[in-house]
Amino acid sequence: MATATSTAPELAWTKKISAPQELAQYRQTLIESIDPSTPCIRVCCGTGCKAVGSLDVLAALKTAVAAAGVDVKVVPEIKRTGCHGFCSRGPLLTLQPQDLFYQRVKPEDTEEIVRKTVVGGEVIPRFLYKPPGSKEPIAKVHDIPFFAKQTKLVLKRVGRIDPFDIRDAIADGAYQGLAKILTEMTPQQVIEEIKVARLRGRGGAGFPTGIKWESCASQPGRHYVICNGDEGDPGAFMDASVMEGDPHAVLEGMAIAAYAMGSDRGFLYVRMEYPLAVQTLTAAIRQAEDLGLLGSNIMGTGFGFKASISTGAGAFVCGESSALMSSLEGKVGRPRAKYIRSTERGFRDSPSNLNNVETYANVPEIILRGGQWYAGYGTERSTGTKVFSLTGNVHNVGLVEVPMGTSLREIVFGIGGGIPNKKQLKAVQTGGPSGGCIPIPGKFIDINVGFGKLAEIGSMMGSGGMIVMDENTCMVEVSRYFINFLVEESCGQCTPCREGLTRMREILSRITQGEGREGDIEQLEEIGQFTNNFSLCGLGTSAANPVLSTIKYFREEYEAHIRSKKCPAGVCKPLYYYEIDPDTCTGCGLCLKRCPAGAITGEKKKAHLIHQEACIKCMECYRNCKFDSIRIM
Amino acid sequence: MKIIMDGKEVSAERGQTIVEVARRNGVYIPTLCHVPALEPAAMCRICTVELAEGRRSRLVTACNYPLRGDAEIHTDTPLLRNGRKVLIELLAPRCQGAKTLTQLAERYGADLNRFPAEDKHCIMCGLCARVCERVGGNVLALCGRGVEIEVDTSFGRLSPNCIGCGSCAQICPVDAIRIEDVDGERRVIVRGKEASRVPLRRCSACGVHFGPVIDLKQVLARAGENGVPDFNRDVCSACSRRSLARRLAERHYEQHEPGPHDPAEES
Repeated sequence: MATATSTAPELAWTKKISAPQELAQYRQTLIESIDPSTPCIRVCCGTGCKAVGSLDVLAALKTAVAAAGVDVKVVPEIKRTGCHGFCSRGPLLTLQPQDLFYQRVKPEDTEEIVRKTVVGGEVIPRFLYKPPGSKEPIAKVHDIPFFAKQTKLVLKRVGRIDPFDIRDAIADGAYQGLAKILTEMTPQQVIEEIKVARLRGRGGAGFPTGIKWESCASQPGRHYVICNGDEGDPGAFMDASVMEGDPHAVLEGMAIAAYAMGSDRGFLYVRMEYPLAVQTLTAAIRQAEDLGLLGSNIMGTGFGFKASISTGAGAFVCGESSALMSSLEGKVGRPRAKYIRSTERGFRDSPSNLNNVETYANVPEIILRGGQWYAGYGTERSTGTKVFSLTGNVHNVGLVEVPMGTSLREIVFGIGGGIPNKKQLKAVQTGGPSGGCIPIPGKFIDINVGFGKLAEIGSMMGSGGMIVMDENTCMVEVSRYFINFLVEESCGQCTPCREGLTRMREILSRITQGEGREGDIEQLEEIGQFTNNFSLCGLGTSAANPVLSTIKYFREEYEAHIRSKKCPAGVCKPLYYYEIDPDTCTGCGLCLKRCPAGAITGEKKKAHLIHQEACIKCMECYRNCKFDSIRIM
Repeated sequence: MKIIMDGKEVSAERGQTIVEVARRNGVYIPTLCHVPALEPAAMCRICTVELAEGRRSRLVTACNYPLRGDAEIHTDTPLLRNGRKVLIELLAPRCQGAKTLTQLAERYGADLNRFPAEDKHCIMCGLCARVCERVGGNVLALCGRGVEIEVDTSFGRLSPNCIGCGSCAQICPVDAIRIEDVDGERRVIVRGKEASRVPLRRCSACGVHFGPVIDLKQVLARAGENGVPDFNRDVCSACSRRSLARRLAERHYEQHEPGPHDPAEES
């Protein structure tokens, strides 16, 4: 498992840790074995960077270091790590001890990086990050606003450690929380600490975790600890990054939960579309069991906890707790209609505690540093931090962790770097497909993101997806997209969700096709409210939120589609056309050159013309015009 | 436990569902996917009622909500009436002309033609699948998901496990399942598509086909019974009755035939 160039000495893997105190000693030997002045190159191998070739960069780096071997005084350590978070800039490297941040590195660049930066200590400007609108590159990781403005509690090890090497995690403090509870805390004290922290479930509903644990622990019978890693919201990858980058935090959190509730068995339900998470977790469980940190008789204390992985088959609805447990039992993954909490009768009709990946990942730190410390982050009602996956029309797409209560302005502009192409921010969609769209111009830009606040304005926290939308986003099309997603993912057993969503999709498709009718908005509202009220599970009861929230805040856009047959954002093809403003057109000819349909004519230095019958509305001219002369009509 | 239903206090036992309490007290709550003999599934959602327990008020399905403490229930508020109306309107295209739906439509003022018809001959109550799991050979199930969900056999093939009991046809509220006995076989036809064929037994006395040839082992195992109940395997019910009648008659005449020790003769 250790990387080939690792300088850490191979330690006896066969030796189990037989007492909690031994873990601290083992950690000390690991820390001492690493010379802090040794250069260390961390290559982001999260899913985003992998997709743009970070594994090739990793391999090329190793070759380059081996080739330069003679000249290198100290052999640098090269680590494959989990997601660094700055996904839009991948493949990413961080170089220690200089604390350098290199972005968009290609395999052929590695030789130069080793020669100049590692051996020569020279910074190569072309790999440095330049903030939008600035010409000054920033060299150091901690000077980049994207990183500097974050508070990393859950993600503190993600991107720093090699997820396939447990020694990295232990050196960084993993399993210290478990050792602490096994030596000095009773199960009741553990639950109390979580309650003091006022930790709320990170899966979306925000149920207080301590209360959930307490009610589960009070039930008789065998208890199960289950982790929900079935993250399915479009554009969300928080849980994936935690599982891929720091699997031990999740496992340790689950083991602590198991101790608190008197359980000895746990399951991680991970969606099959996360193969890397399955790999890291499998390796992590095996290594932790080899070291006696999981499995039977953990650290020689007699407490045992066996965790195993179960993969879902890609159904979004299996993220719902009762459907997840059905699926885990090997049955069809459909929600069960039972008015009984899964903490009383869940998996195999036994008391089961289901928490989200991020919730468990918060637990070890709370145990180590105390609930009071944790409650110091965030707001009164929403404590701690929350990981968001920031996507859409924003400069810095990636994974962001901020204290609860941070304003949307800070997230979108401070960390996200604002909207590209000088466009205006229009809305932020939170909470995944069942969340809502928050209109930004005006009052909501300074809203503090927390469980209560988002629900108040008709959206929800959800698991942490955050999609930024600029002025060229059509809200009708957005709600059609989400409803379409939910129709595809509805399990189909209950009438409102199955029939109601299908009808809403029909109406929305009609509106975006330019065939909207008077009364469509009212129909959408009626069916939407009915679906939210009458559906069986959480998917159905929140499914109409995208429609209802966009109607609430962008009604005039619906009306423009229906009454004037216009799509103001220029998205719904039958409802707009492009026109060149003859007053501002300089006749540069760029649009003419770019138009794939040959629909633009004009002489040099004279205003051009778009021939509507030939235009395919591909947006090329609109995107490329330097003088904003192309208008959406 | 004090239960108030639509303003009146009603009698209820702890653990009873809202539907059970309502039925017992003559309060009407519509249901489409519920029969008392089967575990509730709460799929159709038409039995949704408003429930106030303590300070919280929420919508719950009456068929499966167990009452455990004081509660106030409203079964017929404007919100519920309108919801039921929309629900019937949404279901109607699936199953044109179904009597259950037309009756409910009248009650709640629903427009059965609000949405274009797409006849699927099924209101997706799931009763056939549930009764098949409980009584029959677990042949029918809800397959697929979303809009495409439908009652079918495994992989849409003729099922070898069907015992031809006919519970599915008997329970279907829209008569979408037929049982046909033709050419010595019983056919179960679900929405026009054959789901299974079970050979019929031939009466050893009169030669007519009757009840299906079945292996009861699976069914009995699920029911927790050890043995097959004693019944005549070879003759049809008519012949069985006839032979019983003959035996009774024979016994009667045997008793009344004059014999050497007949006490009737002596008196």
